[in-house]
Order: sequence, then structure tokens, then C-alpha cells
Amino acid sequence: MIYVKDLRKQYDGFLAVKGISFEVQPGEVFGLLGPNGAGKTTTVEILEGLRQRSGGEVRVLGFDPADDGLLLKDRIGVCLQQAALPDRLRVGEAIALFASFYSRTVPGEALLRRLQLWDKRDAFFMHLSGGQKQRLALALALINDPQLLFLDEPSAGLDAQARLEIRSLIGELRAEKRTLLLTTHYIEEAERLCDRVAIMDEGRLIAMGAPREIQEHALGASTIELQTAQALPPGELPAWPGLLRQARDGSGRGLTIVTTRPAAAVMEAVPWLIAHRIELQDIRIRRPSLEDAFIELTGKNLRD
Amino acid sequence: MWRALPALILTDLRLALRMRTVVFFNYLFPLMFFFAFAEFLDAHGEACAQVAGMVLVIGILGNGLWGAGMRLVQEREANILRRFRVTPISPTPILLASVVTGWLLYLPALGLLCALAHWIYGMPLPTRWVSLLLLTSCGIWAFRAIGLIVASVVNGVQESTVLIQLLYMPMLFLGGAAIPVELLPAWAQVAARFVPSYYLVSSMQNALGHGDPAAWHGAEIAALLLATGVGLSIARQAFRWEKDDPLSPRARWYLAAVLAPFLALGIWQLATAPPTAGTRTPTHPERITPPDTPSSADPAAGCGRRPPRRPTFPV
Ligand SMILES: Nc1ncnc2c1ncn2[C@@H]1O[C@H](COP(=O)(O)OP(=O)(O)O)[C@@H](O)[C@H]1O
Ligand SMILES: [Mg+2]
Repeated sequence: MIYVKDLRKQYDGFLAVKGISFEVQPGEVFGLLGPNGAGKTTTVEILEGLRQRSGGEVRVLGFDPADDGLLLKDRIGVCLQQAALPDRLRVGEAIALFASFYSRTVPGEALLRRLQLWDKRDAFFMHLSGGQKQRLALALALINDPQLLFLDEPSAGLDAQARLEIRSLIGELRAEKRTLLLTTHYIEEAERLCDRVAIMDEGRLIAMGAPREIQEHALGASTIELQTAQALPPGELPAWPGLLRQARDGSGRGLTIVTTRPAAAVMEAVPWLIAHRIELQDIRIRRPSLEDAFIELTGKNLRD
Repeated sequence: MWRALPALILTDLRLALRMRTVVFFNYLFPLMFFFAFAEFLDAHGEACAQVAGMVLVIGILGNGLWGAGMRLVQEREANILRRFRVTPISPTPILLASVVTGWLLYLPALGLLCALAHWIYGMPLPTRWVSLLLLTSCGIWAFRAIGLIVASVVNGVQESTVLIQLLYMPMLFLGGAAIPVELLPAWAQVAARFVPSYYLVSSMQNALGHGDPAAWHGAEIAALLLATGVGLSIARQAFRWEKDDPLSPRARWYLAAVLAPFLALGIWQLATAPPTAGTRTPTHPERITPPDTPSSADPAAGCGRRPPRRPTFPV
């Protein structure tokens, strides 16, 4: 569906995308995750035919966006990060207008109902809330029933409720087996919605794979927290499988184990506790989050 | 594109009618000038055709230069055009829709003005409707096209305002739309021949009145049509969806290209009929009656300018 090889983009002397490569398969939800300024928008807008690339190879649905722009645009759906409609255009009018641009369209009413905009069909664009504007943007992106959609930060700047709505809609699109390329700087969005994620930072892809794979590659360590009813025996604790480090807590009834093999470590720790007649009160295993992976890979915190 | 065009026109019309400035500049603004001029010049009966011609051109200039020149710039700045850019349409239907919309908006103003001139000032109803309609239409198309080039070559609303003023003012004051050319100094009368609106004013006045019945203004219509064609193709070449889109340094010279047909027309006119101060040119048949009082002889009083008062207003 999408093939990108060694893509580069230069803005008067400044290299915003520094030679990235990736492929997106049909039916896949592919996420570009990265902080602001990473080059995500630049990348997707080159794929949409909105910007010209400075170098590299790009194929989208078999087209080169730089050459076959109109043919490509007829078949993709796009939600831009930065876009607006005329203030005094009504929702229903926007749908009808955009429908006239495409060679193939779905009925506007069904689309508006699905996106819960039917009641708002006579409202001016300028009177819509942020969430409604974003749902309208999604409706316009779906008007030509595209098999491939580009969603650039679809939930950025929305309140929690609206963000949840947008995410559940993206979940529906995924269930319909549409191919999605979505960019985000929300880790939980990438984690929940994407089949595969590429982490982008300063114009480069620094990791790519299923969210779980990235987590494991980046840090590889899980944390096991044990709470016991009796104090743990003094002295040396066993070396659990994959152990990186461990520590007792102040009360002597808690133990934290950091290991690359959490399952095997638990399998040994439980019989060891039973052998010492210590009752296990609570056990918690924390996998590394994509956030940990992100911080590990980029040395940056996404939320600033 | 052939489904997109009517949809874009419908949208443009709706948006225009929802904006007060559009209604004001297309209808109220020319009407204000009309009543001011008609009263000051005491233009009754046949003489009212002179005034109606001037005022219609004021409306055409406003609709074309301001209407087409501002709207696209605003939409570009508001990131509206970039949303259209990811759909399979080219600039062509967007530009055509702007031209057609301006035209459809203006036709009622033509009817309204003729009707008011007829009822209130006793102007005979125009008999040469076809010429009148053609001139109005070609005028709107040409000035819309010029406005669209302006929209393509400027970087923002402010720049657009400046450039439009630079075109609008001479067309208004030199071209005879706000001051009859006969009242201008001799050098300005020569300069007027190179101003597109000059041809529009004089031929509209002729078509509205009962001046030269043989003149159907082929040369003027041809120049306006040529300007429309050249203007639209330049506007398409120079079209920018986003502020960041590069603007070729040559682009501003494009504006000169679209004014070229009028340059040719001016040279031709000057060669065949040079103006002499105090006498009227053939394109300005004598129809304005002299005003009653000297104070009302200043036709530009309504627009705050005081042209030299000379006995150039023969009966
Ligand atoms: N049109 C442009 N001209 C110059 N620099 C740009 C332009 N667009 C983006 N940039 C720069 O390129 C970098 C990447 O931007 P962008 O692709 O928008 O990142 P992201 O979408 O990941 O936040 C940023 O440093 C940004 O300032
Ligand atoms: Mg971005």
C-alpha cells in the first residue's frame, strides 16, 4: 500500500526528514510516533502529494504522489493536522461539496449519522466544537470510501471525551480492514490503535515494529513487585532468571525484582516462597510501556 | 471537474450571500454612488445613462478586484485551500467558480440599477440589452480574472489590499468610473486610454443610452475577453494553495501581461482618435446636461476629490 525508501525532505537548508524507509501493508494500522517537530507531518504530507520530497522513493497505492497526484487523491482519505473550512459553510454543505470532487462516494447522510453529526448538519463550521470539527474532518476523509487513510494527529488538542470518541472511530475503521497511517504524539494511542509503530525523532526512524516488540527491544526489562505476609528471610536472595537487580523494601515484606524474563522469575519465586512458608499477598508485574521505550530510545519525554 | 464546478459555484454563492461585505460592495456601494452622482449632476432622462454607466463600472471593479482578490487570499491564510488540495481537484474549477459566482452576483445589480434609473430619474430603458449584458459580463469576467492573479501573487491580506488599491484607484479615477474623463487634465485623458476601465465606462454608457446605435463595442469586448482568458490562465499557473508555496519572482509581471490587451487598445485609439482637451472623444457621446448650479458641477464631490473645473462639459 505504501512504500517509502530513503525519503528526505529539506526546508531551505534544514533537513526535516533525514532518509527514512518503511512499508505499510494492506489492512494495517501503522503509527508514526514522535514528539513535535520530529517530521511526522512532513512525511505524511509528502505521501499525500501535498509537499514535494527532496529525495528518495515513494509509492502510495502504486502511484508516485509527486506525479500522479490527482489519481492518488481520488482514492485516499486525508485528515490534515492543519486545515479548516470556510466559517459559514454548513456541515451538510461541506459534505455535498466534497462529494462532488470524487469519482466514487458514499451517501452523505449515512456518513453524518455514523459520525454523530446528523443533528449538526445545518450548523456553520465556525460553530462546531473541536471534537465536532474533527469528526467532520473524518467524515470528509471518508466521503470517497477510501481503502487508505492518512490521519495526522487526529486526537491532538481535543478534550478527553472527544479523544475517546475519535479513538473508537479509528478502532472501527481498523475493524473494517482499512489501511491507516496515523501520526500521534500520544503513546497510549499508538499502543492501543496501531498494529505497527515507527518511532520518529529529529527526522529519523529510531525503532519500528509492533508496540510490544518495541517495548521489549528498547528496555527488555519488566518489574515484578511482591508483597508478603511475613518478613522475607535475611541474607542472600536467589538469582532469578534474567535478573537485572532486586531490592527489599523498608518493611522487609516487599520485594522488587527487575528481570528480562518475568514469567520464569515468577515460576521460581513462588515455590521459593512456599518452601520458606511465606504467604504471598500480592503480586504485580509491570511491563515496560511504550513510553519507557520512547524515553529510552530518544532520551526525551514526549509530554513536554 | 464537471461535477465539482457547479458544486463550487453553489458553495461560493452561498458563502458570498452570507457575508455582509459582499452584499454591500455589490449592491449598496454602487447605489450610493448612483444617487450621489445623479443628484449632483442632476442627471435626468437620457443623461442618467452616463451616471448609470459609471456606477456599474464602480460595481464591476469592486466585485472583480476586491471580491476575487481577497477571498482566495483569506482562504489560503486560513488553511482552507490546503484542505482542497488533498482532494482530486485542480485550481481550474476553483478559479472558474470564482468568476462565475462574481458574475451571477452582479447581474441582479445591473437590473436593479437600470430599474432605479428608469423609475427615479426617467432614464429610458436600455434598448441594446445584448450589448449591455455582454459588456457587463465580459467586464466582470476580466476584472475577476485580474483579481485572481492578484490573489495568486500576494503573500497575505495586507499585501493584497495594497496591490488592489494600486489597481483600483487609477481604474476608478483615471478610467472615468468616478470622474468623467472629460473633466480630467489633458495628460490624464491620454493616460486614461491605457486604463481598462475607460473602455468599459465609455462603452457601457453608450450601450445604456441611445448614443451610437451602430457601435456594438467589438474591440472592447474582445479586449475584455482576451484579458479574461490570459488572466485565468496566468492565475492557474501562479495558483498557490498555501502561503509556503513558492512564488516565482516573475509572477508579478504576469499582471502586466493581462493589462497588455488594453495597452494595445490604447495605442490604437490614440493613433486613430487622439483626444483634444475640451472636446469629447467619439466613445463619449454627449449626453450629460449641464448642472444648474456651479456647486453641483463637481461630479467627484461624492468621492472627496476635486478635479480641475474647466468648461469641458458641453451640452
Ligand atoms: N514549511 C516548512 N518550512 C520550513 N520548515 C518546516 C516547514 N514545515 C515544517 N518545518 C520544520 O520541519 C520540522 C518537522 O516538522 P513537522 O513535519 O511538522 O513535524 P511533526 O509533524 O512531527 O511535529 C520542524 O522542525 C518544523 O519546524
Ligand atoms: Mg505534525
